Amino acid sequence: MADKKPSLVGEIVEGATGLIGSYAATLTHLFRKPVTEQYPEYKRPMPERTRGRIILTRSPDGKERCVACYLCSGACPVNCISMQSEEGPDGRRQAAWFRINFARCIYCGLCEEACPTLALQLTAEFAFCKDDIADFVYEKEQLLVDHGGRHPDYDFYAHAGVAAGGPKGSHIGEDDPVDVKSILP
Amino acid sequence: MPDLIIDGRAISVPKGTMVIEAAERLGIMIPRFCWHKALGAAGACRMCAVKFVAGPVKGLEMSCMTLAADGMVVETFHPEAVAFRRSIIELLMVNHPHDCPVCDEGGHCLLQDETISGNHVQRRFPGRKRTYLDQDLGPFVQHEMNRCIHCYRCARFYQDYCGYRDFGPMQNANRVYFGRFEDGPLENPFAGNLADLCPTGTLTDKPARYTSRRWDCERAPSVCLHCSLGCNVTVLSRYRRVARIEARDNEAVNGSFICDRGRFSAGYEAIPERPRAGLADGRPVPVTEAVAAAVSRLAALAESHGPGSIAVVGGLRSSLETQAALVALAGAAGWRAPAFFGSRQEQAATKAALAALTPARARSLAELGQADAVLVLGVSPLYDAPMLALALRQASRAGAKIIVADPRPVALPLPFSHLPVAPRQLPAVLAVATGQPDQAAAEAQKRLPFSPELWPVLEDAARALAAARRPALVFAPGLAASLPDDDRLGLFPVLPAAGSAGAALLAPDDAPGLDELAAGVAAGRIRGLLVAEADLFTAAPELAALLGSLDALVVLDHLPTPTVAAAKVFLPTATIFEAGGTLAASDGRLQTAAPVQPPGDPVVRDGRGSHPPRAYDRELPGTDPAPAAFWLGEISQGLGQKAPRSPLAAVMAGLPALAGIDCSRLPDAGLRPAFAGPRPDTAPPAPLVAEAGLAVVYDEALFATDDPGRYAPLALAQTAASPVILLHADDAASLGLADAMAVAVGCGDRFVPAVVRLSRAMARGVLVVPRLPEFAGLPPILGPCGLRRR
Repeated sequence: MADKKPSLVGEIVEGATGLIGSYAATLTHLFRKPVTEQYPEYKRPMPERTRGRIILTRSPDGKERCVACYLCSGACPVNCISMQSEEGPDGRRQAAWFRINFARCIYCGLCEEACPTLALQLTAEFAFCKDDIADFVYEKEQLLVDHGGRHPDYDFYAHAGVAAGGPKGSHIGEDDPVDVKSILP
Repeated sequence: MPDLIIDGRAISVPKGTMVIEAAERLGIMIPRFCWHKALGAAGACRMCAVKFVAGPVKGLEMSCMTLAADGMVVETFHPEAVAFRRSIIELLMVNHPHDCPVCDEGGHCLLQDETISGNHVQRRFPGRKRTYLDQDLGPFVQHEMNRCIHCYRCARFYQDYCGYRDFGPMQNANRVYFGRFEDGPLENPFAGNLADLCPTGTLTDKPARYTSRRWDCERAPSVCLHCSLGCNVTVLSRYRRVARIEARDNEAVNGSFICDRGRFSAGYEAIPERPRAGLADGRPVPVTEAVAAAVSRLAALAESHGPGSIAVVGGLRSSLETQAALVALAGAAGWRAPAFFGSRQEQAATKAALAALTPARARSLAELGQADAVLVLGVSPLYDAPMLALALRQASRAGAKIIVADPRPVALPLPFSHLPVAPRQLPAVLAVATGQPDQAAAEAQKRLPFSPELWPVLEDAARALAAARRPALVFAPGLAASLPDDDRLGLFPVLPAAGSAGAALLAPDDAPGLDELAAGVAAGRIRGLLVAEADLFTAAPELAALLGSLDALVVLDHLPTPTVAAAKVFLPTATIFEAGGTLAASDGRLQTAAPVQPPGDPVVRDGRGSHPPRAYDRELPGTDPAPAAFWLGEISQGLGQKAPRSPLAAVMAGLPALAGIDCSRLPDAGLRPAFAGPRPDTAPPAPLVAEAGLAVVYDEALFATDDPGRYAPLALAQTAASPVILLHADDAASLGLADAMAVAVGCGDRFVPAVVRLSRAMARGVLVVPRLPEFAGLPPILGPCGLRRR
């Protein structure tokens, strides 16, 4: 079926409406508030569960939450977390050193899910640049912050029941210690 | 032979087998906490419930308490059994603390596994948790009683299996507590096994506390080096240091357990003093240069003074590979055959002890545990070979009579008769006890005329051994020539070190003793010495005193011994953890140890400050050590020899007992060569000449008297500050010495300070001295001036 050739007038009208429509759109945008965000001058607040740079938080009493249990390094699919546990001066288990290689990290958040003491948390900070790739290897001093992150109230040692977190029987939901030398019922 | 069906698979098991064991044979692991194959059932945890759908037993029953019977049909995954086990887990978790992240058992915890497999995720019980106070149980076992699930494994092992009473259950009902009456170190020298046995984190390995998770460790099957028994261990290594040692099952040797010496004597591989660089004339040089220096010096010496001027010393803590490489190197170069033992007599005695182990007479450690009468001669089981004491304990529990004839005071966790006789009387004791029981009294009076108190014990021993169906004899190699020719009597030798059996197997018959080398060096016949993994200052002090007069002294070692300090050329060798190797146990059993970790400084020392170094492209420090056999091969090549690819295979091919054995493919339980029996020409050792004075007998301690263990920091921390020597109370009275008196022992040209303790449970005329380097070189008979008050 042969096409019907459009008339000249029809062509002119069609072209003009196209032009006018575009100009109208441009003109209306001239008087609108711009939607562009001037990153990095302006940083958009990220959703609470954004998976960005990792931090090690502290419990409400200001002590380190991380007990170096190796669960995060065990869960990490790219093996970017390594640590060595030790017994701290107060008898608490802690990390002698703790290292995350952010050049290798894929920000999957499995470490945060694995962390039983809520010490390791992913923050909203997603963009950080370095001149040298080795600078992306963060040590414990760089990871440790002085707040509780998203869970400011949780204290693992108040629940754990080990003597390092307070005398036996003094933790949440615990009975007094059994007196093994008593014959009373 | 009951035939039963478990999960649709038929199996036939011996009578007396429990259903849980029958399932294990099929590879079906029924969940359990209290049942352990070495300890048996207690029925305490209720975790192993299975459903018996047909047969003599019906319904839900504990598989550890039910004997397998004909016609049984068992379903381990029956919904009823699964629901029951799930509720048991929930009950066990009611009081279990919320502390897995700080628990060292996490990662290899049976309770954790079962909780997860039972899908217990939410604690429904609203009540409070029961708590306990913990105890300090000494340096090896950490106590965290809140985690206990009351399976009674620890108590059954500690009290029933080992025979020690200072740890056990207390209280009743919901308050049952496992501990000591008061804080204090556990007395049991096998207490480290509690860490392996405990299915939760109640009892954990204290030295390994907070060091690693099991999944992060490199693991390999290995063999213990700290006595001659060759117990099987699993070594766990992390960041190039041994994190923990666990028992490895070998039903023919150690069963499921090891002693604390074997478990806690590692650490020497990571000490900062360990020599890790090649040395030439006291200067650190690259190892290739050290090899070249060793080659050029030995070659020059052979050129100028003949190959006979070079002697070789091998160690008793080396693998067969190292020992064979030494034999091959010395043989190809025409040097003197390597000396492994103090004297030719010692070597001949050790060879004879092994040769006596014909298939009919050889007993394994496990078989000793099934003997019904055991005579132990010249061995103090708990200290010379600790796991032997545990085997004797099992025999004793089954009713065996145990007789120990040894000059030292003997402590054993079992009822036994002790014959405190001097070493020279041991052959007489052996002859009387294994002779005709009706002539024992007369023989005892004739051969031991001055010890009337021993006659009735000997008569009893002779009667017990004659009446026994599976009697066994545990003996020190010195008695090999006096062994009775009786096939009924099983034999089990105990040798001085882990490498003794290997050295005796591989050393040529004409190999000299270290005493001959000392004489040769003194006379100037020997001018060069190649020492591989031996410390001459403890093995041969008279030879060590002459080291300065040698033209060439090449030492290969991994321990910072004084011999290494005296070396002119030094090559660093790898430990068993880095090199692995084949080892021969005291009953000749060949076993393989696999390497666990690469050589190199442990990460903990490599780093500066609070973390390991951050460089990616550098060489690791301290990686020069290589297996001693490798260095010996390099020296052999440097000397222009055509060395065989495997010196061990080449040397073994020439030995009748070992020919045809492929050490690279040994079975899991090890392989005991079939020895042909003693050669008739084995001459009895020269009797000690009766001299005025005290016969010196060396005594092992549980820790730090064996060669590598002496350099282990943890083992060293368990030793007494001042060495203690033992003397019979009557001897002490005649010498004018009292208990706990400070004395000096004459040792060569010096006096060694010690504290004397008196005992009546030891032989008269004997001085018991700890096997410490400072006492090396005591004369066999200490003269009247050898012991004086300080």
